[in-house]
Amino acid sequence: MATERYSFSLTTFSPSGKLVQIEYALAAVAAGAPAVGIKAKDGVVLATEKKHKSILVEEHSIIKVEMITDHIGMVYSGMGPDYRLLVRQARKVAQQYYRTYLEPIPTPQLVQRLAAIMQEYTQSGGVRPFGVSLLICGWDLDRPYLFQCDPSGAYFPWKATAMGKNFINGKTFLEKRYNEDLELDDAVHTAILTLKESFEGQMSSDNIEIGICNSQGFRRLTPAEVQDYLANIA
Amino acid sequence: MSILAYNGGSVVAMKGKNCVAIATDLRFGVQAQTITTDFERVFEVGPHLYIGLPGLVTDTQTVLQRLKFRIKMYEMREGRKVKPRTLMAMVQNLLYERRFGPYFVEPVIAGLDPVTKDPYICALDLIGCPCEPADFVVSGTSSESLYGMCETTWREDLEPDDLFECIGQSLINAFDRDALSGWGAVVHVIEEDKVTTRHIKSRMD
Amino acid sequence: MCSEVQSAQDYMRDPRKHYFSPYMDNGGTTVAIAGEDFVMVASDTRLSRGFNILSREQGKVFNLTPKTMLASTGCWADVLTLNKVLQARLMMYSHEHHDTMSTTAVAQLLSTMLYWRRFFPYYVSNMLVGLDESGKGVVYHYDPVGHMEKLTFSAAGASVSLIQPFLDNQVGAFNMEGVDPPKMTKELARQLIHDSFVSAAERDINTGDGIIIYTITKDGTAEEKIKLRMD
Repeated sequence: MATERYSFSLTTFSPSGKLVQIEYALAAVAAGAPAVGIKAKDGVVLATEKKHKSILVEEHSIIKVEMITDHIGMVYSGMGPDYRLLVRQARKVAQQYYRTYLEPIPTPQLVQRLAAIMQEYTQSGGVRPFGVSLLICGWDLDRPYLFQCDPSGAYFPWKATAMGKNFINGKTFLEKRYNEDLELDDAVHTAILTLKESFEGQMSSDNIEIGICNSQGFRRLTPAEVQDYLANIA
Repeated sequence: MSILAYNGGSVVAMKGKNCVAIATDLRFGVQAQTITTDFERVFEVGPHLYIGLPGLVTDTQTVLQRLKFRIKMYEMREGRKVKPRTLMAMVQNLLYERRFGPYFVEPVIAGLDPVTKDPYICALDLIGCPCEPADFVVSGTSSESLYGMCETTWREDLEPDDLFECIGQSLINAFDRDALSGWGAVVHVIEEDKVTTRHIKSRMD
Repeated sequence: MCSEVQSAQDYMRDPRKHYFSPYMDNGGTTVAIAGEDFVMVASDTRLSRGFNILSREQGKVFNLTPKTMLASTGCWADVLTLNKVLQARLMMYSHEHHDTMSTTAVAQLLSTMLYWRRFFPYYVSNMLVGLDESGKGVVYHYDPVGHMEKLTFSAAGASVSLIQPFLDNQVGAFNMEGVDPPKMTKELARQLIHDSFVSAAERDINTGDGIIIYTITKDGTAEEKIKLRMD
């Protein structure tokens, strides 16, 4: 197309060697709702805050913790619409992998491919980087996985981490609370407590969302289950 | 005559007790004329993993090279070895990509799963339709004779030595009634801790 | 007006070609094994046409003389015709010579009869079995135009390529070092024939339903029927 001739990538180096567009994207992430991920011995937990602009919002029609395949789940901090595009891409990548090799995609493979997509958006013409960081949890080959994937396309394996608003406090909290032989139930508690660190107002099953992944696969906890965990904490 | 039978050649694979065997003849010909008698059409493509590619030899070689490329890419990307069933899926995709201008090979895969050590055998047609039976698979110009031999001689849970005898006799007696296959055979018996490769002499006519 | 247009189109149309094929493959498989003082011959009982089964109880072995039988598969019409003509020739022989024809003579006659139709052959795979002048079992195998081979075991028909290598191996002891061919007994022959047909029925749609086994000895002919898979 003729217009393509003039559609340069917006992500160009600044004289100091920084890609400021990516830094702005990270700023968008840091302004987003908090998300926490913790790896336990027998599974992984993802948790996020889901505050609504108005009390008129029907809470449970919005979903942030998404299943990618039977054994992989994902959550984000940052811009919702960008996230949903990545969810679609991730599901597509997972199914493509299954069709090619007739086996479920290993979590590191999904993360790698998703990171490649995010990287592409930092170098292509006519697009901007994603305004999200992802937390991807999975279970394969008898062990849990937890990855963070940033707008730059960089990805990190974590034992536990926090992203979004107040992530520094969240990480400090996790550094204090984390230990290697955590069970999944304890990890869910810790995740809720981490969110609570920066939570404004009353936490309820309507304004947080939790997903767990273990040998049985990935699933989002029902509001009733979340309520039970909250009751145990109080 | 079918282009699949242009160069001749046959492959057979069998399951045994904690082992598998795959065997091939050695003839490479052009229709009725024999060119060489040392052409192995079974190739090692992984640990305890073999693939036989009977059919048009030019396609045997092309498919092998393209498959090796894909296997190496997979192994580098994922940092692990390819499993037998994964290999089947890769071959299936490779062949079906050429659905309307196919490679004229009908592959046979035999191997042990690197994790579970389960025996695996499989045969595909030239556009990648797989067949994963519990006993044996045959392919190539002697496939009919091989069906007759294997159907009568194969038994469940054969030990490696008996499996070798079974697959060897099946292949040789089958291809002795086929002008396009024969001229010696090679048998690979794949076990958990070793692979035994034996060359068998047979009648050369 | 409409019909005028149509008739013009009919006239312009390409002529249609119609072919007649004089041959048909009706499947069927036969196996024969000879011993020192007997010969065993068997056929399946399926008669097929493409994917259709015409009969599930049609044997393909025919009595020629008390010591000779003919097993024929291929085009069923040709099988019947060949058999009818052969029976007539045997009848003429017995009238002229006041004796039944020997197995070797019938074998030669069949070859000659087949070759007479060299340029419009009977589409039939034949095996002629019997006891020779010394009482020994013999098997003659034919191609459709009368090439004849004297053997001690053979298969013919739809599943020949499945069964023949098995017989080579188990009866002829081919490709085995230091192994002599087994002494053929009726029990062994029956077992091998049974195994052959079970395997063939497993993989070949043109073979199945049942087996009829005939055993020819100096005392006469015995018949046995065995069931096969019927799918």
